[in-house]
Amino acid sequence: MLELQRNVIFGQFVDMGSFIHCMDARVKIAATLVLIVASFLVDSFLGFAILAPLLLAIGLVSKIPLGYVLRGSRLFLAFLVFILFFQVLFYPGNVPESDYLWHWGILSVSTEGLYTAGILALRVILLYYVTTMLMLTTSLVDLTNGLELILGPLQRLRVPVNELVLVFVIAIKFVPVFIEEMERLARAQTARGFPFDEGGPVKRARRIGRLLVPIFISGFARADTLTIAMNTRSYRGGRHRTKLRQMRASLSDWLAILLVVVWVIVAWMV
Amino acid sequence: MQRDGHPPILELESFSHTYLEGTPRASEGVRDVSFRIQPGERVGVVGATQSGKSTVVDSFAHLLRLKEGQVFYKGEDVAAPGYDRARLRREVGIVFQQPESQIIEDVVGADVAFGPTAAGLSAAETRERVEESLNTLGLPYPEYRLRYVHALSGGQRRRVAIAGVLAMHTPVLVLDEPMAGLDPRGRRELLELLVRLQKDRELTLIVCSASLTDASLLCDRFIVLDRGSVVMDGRAREVLRDADRLAKLDITLPEPIVGAREMQKLFPDFPTDLLTEAELESELLERLGVA
Repeated sequence: MLELQRNVIFGQFVDMGSFIHCMDARVKIAATLVLIVASFLVDSFLGFAILAPLLLAIGLVSKIPLGYVLRGSRLFLAFLVFILFFQVLFYPGNVPESDYLWHWGILSVSTEGLYTAGILALRVILLYYVTTMLMLTTSLVDLTNGLELILGPLQRLRVPVNELVLVFVIAIKFVPVFIEEMERLARAQTARGFPFDEGGPVKRARRIGRLLVPIFISGFARADTLTIAMNTRSYRGGRHRTKLRQMRASLSDWLAILLVVVWVIVAWMV
Repeated sequence: MQRDGHPPILELESFSHTYLEGTPRASEGVRDVSFRIQPGERVGVVGATQSGKSTVVDSFAHLLRLKEGQVFYKGEDVAAPGYDRARLRREVGIVFQQPESQIIEDVVGADVAFGPTAAGLSAAETRERVEESLNTLGLPYPEYRLRYVHALSGGQRRRVAIAGVLAMHTPVLVLDEPMAGLDPRGRRELLELLVRLQKDRELTLIVCSASLTDASLLCDRFIVLDRGSVVMDGRAREVLRDADRLAKLDITLPEPIVGAREMQKLFPDFPTDLLTEAELESELLERLGVA
């Protein structure tokens, strides 16, 4: 708890200067979208097995240590296991009697239930992994610019693209800020004799409840400050703004996205 | 470790700390910091931002992942397995830079009562402590005990935070940037209060700041940190004598010393170890009298 940042890396940017970090943000976002679509299309273990080397390669090329990602996903994985537990127990399908491994009232464990839960787990992990990797390797500025450029054509349909992107990016990037804030609060309250570094998981979880009110208050204060800061600097959406850095996709960017698309199609078709 | 028969109340022994160690976001807080603080000392831990002050403060109450053999309270290794951290935190009171963060309850009286209650004091004793602490900090008990903390001003909130720590009657009091965000009157009042409390309760007082202005009025020893290491450690006057070095370390100097450094343009050997304006004045008059 005193080093919460170790256990939650969602929304964090870690600059390792790798090939993936240097890629055009639009290409990274597009590849992420392709993989998100893949998480819905692929519905066999074989399909996910085919995707696995690609994901591993992304992790390796990005130079972000796997241990760091895994440790930083502990809370997420614990939550996933918790959900899947109930998914299996309450699996409602019309399962032939012979498929039941265990049965008691409405609770059951069936091979079909286990299979569905397994696929579901892989889907959620894929979703989480690709979005986390996108954020780990893309700076706030690149992410905003990339999204604005990708969604730019929607502006003709009067969709407030800039505002929406801004809200999305701020929301995501506030996660690490809040995590840091929670850490600071936990430390200060521990010092006063309200220990966050002792007791079992349940006790610790209940203590976190104590942080909610101050976190909300500081969240509103931060949002307020940010609004004022943007207003004083005359922020008014990006419609007529030009970019200091033009994004230009290189040949390697095109090859990368092609690779991802082909790989996903193969995984989907098998 | 023994000196004059007493172990130091706080001791750092080659204390090094890296935040998020072993991850790509690791950043070094302090490196190889060693010092001893004796009971009843008044120590200023001074350094610019990023010098490692807060890391040192947090180590005193074991608020970091500490390695064994680096931080000692009353001669005992606080990172040893089985060490009673709750007791340590009842004895080392810390007032953090942002007072809001250490306020636990919504109502002033309840918050100040939190520590004593958690320490197992009776309701009557707790009430007495709360009343005493709030009154001491100029927040009259009957008027403030039922106020909402979030409806108070920044300065008042800081006082509530200090009251919460004072109510614990800790032998060690650590203040991180205690004067930040206070107006001149608030500063003066807090300063007087701290001097009085330190004497009355024989506190070991540790004040952390990027400015020597407040620390020089409260402390008689300075430990100067720069980029995670101790660069100076000594009696206040000794440290102040090297004002040029302090200025290079981006540490805000007290007014009399700023004046003294100006005087050095006229008198190259003008001393800078002056704690008050009166000392500056008498030194100057003496020089002018001679000249």
